[in-house]
Amino acid sequence: MENLTSIIEALIFISVEPLTAAKIKEVLAEVTEEEIAAAIRDLTARYDSGDGAIRVIQTAGGYVFSTKPTFDPHIRRLLQIERKKKLSPPSLETLSAVAYHQPVTQSEVSAIRGVDSTSSLHTLLENKLIKIVGRKDAPGRPLVYRTTDKFLTYFGLNSLEDLPSEEELKKLMQEENA
Amino acid sequence: MMAEGTQPTPTTDGYQVRLPIFEGPLDLLLYLIKKKKVDIHDIPIAVITGEYLDYLGRKEHINLDGEAEFLLMAALLIYIKSQMLLPREQALGAEEVPERDPAARLADYQRIKAVSAVLREKEEEMAQVWKRTALTAALPEADLDLIEVSLFDLAESFFTLMKRKQDEGRRVVKGREVSMSEKMSEIIAVLKERAFLDFLEYLDSQETLEEALIAFFCLLELIKARLVVAIQEQLFHTIKVWLRKDAPAAANGES
Repeated sequence: MENLTSIIEALIFISVEPLTAAKIKEVLAEVTEEEIAAAIRDLTARYDSGDGAIRVIQTAGGYVFSTKPTFDPHIRRLLQIERKKKLSPPSLETLSAVAYHQPVTQSEVSAIRGVDSTSSLHTLLENKLIKIVGRKDAPGRPLVYRTTDKFLTYFGLNSLEDLPSEEELKKLMQEENA
Repeated sequence: MMAEGTQPTPTTDGYQVRLPIFEGPLDLLLYLIKKKKVDIHDIPIAVITGEYLDYLGRKEHINLDGEAEFLLMAALLIYIKSQMLLPREQALGAEEVPERDPAARLADYQRIKAVSAVLREKEEEMAQVWKRTALTAALPEADLDLIEVSLFDLAESFFTLMKRKQDEGRRVVKGREVSMSEKMSEIIAVLKERAFLDFLEYLDSQETLEEALIAFFCLLELIKARLVVAIQEQLFHTIKVWLRKDAPAAANGES
C-alpha cells in the first residue's frame, strides 16, 4: 500500500510528541499492525537514504521528525539559542542512579551516590526527567521515583532497554581503567 | 556501544597516587582493590592521605569538584580498610537492615559513573538534533522560564534606546502626526500579523523621536489594558511583546 507510507508521514509530521504505532493504528483502524510497521520502515529508510535535512527517529516508543546534526548551528541561530543547556554532573549522576535502580527512593539514591541527593532529585523533577510514582511500603513511606518519557527523548532512547546492559557497562569500565 | 576514542571521564585527572606498589589515579587503585588485583593490606593509607595534603598545600587553585571526588574515594578506601582490620560484629536481629557492603557500594557507584558517561555522550549527540518541539518551546505558551517585565524594565530599555538615538545625531525636522489611538491600532495590526514584536526594534523603527515616544506610551497603555503582554525570555535578552491570547475581542485600539 503505497499510500500508507505517506499517510503515516503526514501523521508524524503534525505530531509534536513522538507518535506511537498504537496511535497510528487508532487512526487507521482497517490497516494491520504489520502493514503499519512495514510502512514506517519504508518511511525511515526513505528519509535516511536521501541527503535531506530531516529524518525520522524512534524515541520514547514513538516516531518523530528531527533535523540531522549538521544543521545544528543554523537552527541555533534561528532560535537565538547559544547552546543547549546540559545537565550538571551531580544531576546526571543522580539521573543515572534513578534510571538503573528505579523505582527508587531518595535515600536509596543518596546511598548509591554517597551524598545527599535531595536537591538533585528536585531539579530533575522540575525538568520532568523523573517523576514520583508513589510511596514505598517502608518506614516513613518515602516517595518513589522513576524516569519519564522525556528522559528517553532527551537522551534519544527508545526505551529503558536501550540503556547499556550490565555486560556493556563492565566492558566500558574495563576500557576506562585499562 | 558507541565507545569512541575519547575517554569520557578522567575524573581525578589531577592528582596521582605514588606508591612503591602502585602509581596512578585513586579511582584506578580502588578498582584494582575491588578486583582483588591489589591487596588493600599493602596500601599505606596514611602515606596516600599525607602526600595528598601536601599536594593540596602546594596548590594555589583548587578545583572543588575534583578534590571532592578524591575525598570521596579516599573515604571509601579508608572505610574498606577499616572494615577489614576491625573484628566483625555478629549481626543483631534478623530485622536489622544490613550495612551495605562497601565493596558492593563502590561497584554500584562506579557503575553509575559509567552510566553517566554514556548518557553524557548521548546528551551531546541529541543536543545537535532538533525536533519540532524546539519551536513550540520558543513560544510563550510553553512553560519556559519567562519573565514578565516590569514598567521599570521597559522604561529603562526605552531610555537606553533614546540615548543611542541621540548619539546618532539623527534629526527629522517634522514627521507625520500620529495620535495615540492611531498608533495603538497600528501596533495591534502588526501584532496580529507577526505574533510578536521586538520591543526595542519596533521603537527603533519609528521615524521620529516623537513617534517613538507615542509608540512607547501606546505599548504601556496596551500592557495596562492587558491586551498585550511584554515578556523577556531570558534575562538580558530582548523584550518581546505578544498579543494576549485571552485579550478581549475588541482589541481595535480604542483609547
